[in-house]
Amino acid sequence: MQPVYDPRGVVRADERPLSPRVKSLDGLRLAILDNTKWNANKLLRALRERLEERHQFASVSYYRKESFSRFAAPALIERIRAENDVALTAVGD
Amino acid sequence: MHDSIALESLGVPTAVIVTRTFLHEARVQRAALGMIGLAPVVIDHPLSSLTEDEIRGRAAQALAQVENVWHGTHAEPA
Amino acid sequence: MSAQIAADAPWVASLPEGTDLVEWYFERGFTDGLPVVPPTPERIEAMVAALGGDPEKVECRVPPRWGALTRHVLAVNMVMAGCKPEYAPVVRAAMLALCEPAFNLNGVQATTHVACPLLVANGPIARGIGMNGGCNAFGSGNRANATIGRAIRLILLNVGGGWPGDLDKSTLGHPGKYTYAVCENEPASPFAPYHVEKGFSAEDSTVFVMAAEAPHSVTNHVANDPQGILDSVCSAMSTIAHNNAVSSGHCAVVLGPEHAAAIARHGWTRHDIRSYLWMYSGNKFREIAFDHRYGKVYNRNLPVWYRRDPDSRIPIVPSSDNIHLFVIGGEAGRFSAFIPGWGHMSSPVLREIEGGAGPAQVGPRCVDGTCYL
Repeated sequence: MQPVYDPRGVVRADERPLSPRVKSLDGLRLAILDNTKWNANKLLRALRERLEERHQFASVSYYRKESFSRFAAPALIERIRAENDVALTAVGD
Repeated sequence: MHDSIALESLGVPTAVIVTRTFLHEARVQRAALGMIGLAPVVIDHPLSSLTEDEIRGRAAQALAQVENVWHGTHAEPA
Repeated sequence: MSAQIAADAPWVASLPEGTDLVEWYFERGFTDGLPVVPPTPERIEAMVAALGGDPEKVECRVPPRWGALTRHVLAVNMVMAGCKPEYAPVVRAAMLALCEPAFNLNGVQATTHVACPLLVANGPIARGIGMNGGCNAFGSGNRANATIGRAIRLILLNVGGGWPGDLDKSTLGHPGKYTYAVCENEPASPFAPYHVEKGFSAEDSTVFVMAAEAPHSVTNHVANDPQGILDSVCSAMSTIAHNNAVSSGHCAVVLGPEHAAAIARHGWTRHDIRSYLWMYSGNKFREIAFDHRYGKVYNRNLPVWYRRDPDSRIPIVPSSDNIHLFVIGGEAGRFSAFIPGWGHMSSPVLREIEGGAGPAQVGPRCVDGTCYL
């Protein structure tokens, strides 16, 4: 018999649950995180207009990543968490 | 996906928008990071070369999906 | 062909004698398109020993799939590539460098751009294992160059999941995605080695990795002074076509030994060369903005401190320190090369190769640019 080997290595991650969902968006603070990919800001702006027609957010705050390709800085993520209740981000393209 | 997973881990329901071409990558990323329940909002590809009107069309595509993500009723497109 | 994600424990299987193993690895989608060396227990054991034993030790996780690169898996891919065990410290150092956050391997693997990791090794280890920094360094014919670069690619494919058309979205790719590993030609270089300029001692051995386009050859058979030769390099740099022009970041310049010797005869140092290249290359903003024909262009990928007037000079990279200079190539031929990078989205990483001579102090220590070599 001849052995053969798997060159891929395992993918193993502890399962992480989602945060609890919300019933209503009225009175919530919305974060919009722009990853600075081309047209992400325009998409988010258009979406924001539509969302504000339908819901009474307590606040809408806009944040930008320093680099579209890298993960957002931990300090930015923490700031978003501290200042908001729900988040919207774009775009993976 | 990494940023949205970070925010979800910290208690912030997050709607993350990807274009259809990048849905597969998004699925791989969330599996690798362990948050298989994070369903992205999917819009048609491309986005980067669109006119203002076409971008508004993508926003319309995303709108209900975004609300559903926050409410927990979003079914990720196949 | 893309391989499926393996979520379970790494498997080993046994196939009947007479099975064509070369075809088997092709059929499973585990190759770069070329036949691989089917690993045997003995070959894997020798490779793991060269890594220091402990086969289940996880060296890093490779994006975008985040597969665990254990020493065993690293050994399997190195044997498949055709590496000798003595290459193992170099491949490991390269993978650790690529997985450092600054490199952003996740982005490099997935990008639609052509960029892929370029490896340049320095120091005694590179020489000792027979890497080629001389004639045809970027070409074929040298086992160490060929298989070290290939092992990296096989890992990026198999462990990282960077399969073309799947998670690797590169529109065109480039031949460096088969192999792209060289060493500097330290014996033929009139300057200090690259890693010494960056603060290591000559007796240290290092790997430099950068997300890179293919080399663009620079011809100059006329000039015998720094300005003439470097003006040709500046010409290659001063185009809107490569990614640095519109995405900033880092790039590499390779001087062939004849060009390097001519420049050194005039007493110029590495710092002088990089500074000249930075100063006299560039584009006009109007060119990068296409004269605003398609709408007003600002370009947030370029530093905010660049002026955006139509005739403002836009440097190729933001600083002369973002030009990584190497002397590579054969001793005949008046050629150099410009190697563009991907952009600000990835930073090169310079990392020591373990198993070297240690911190023997030979020559000046250059830290924080205090030593203009």
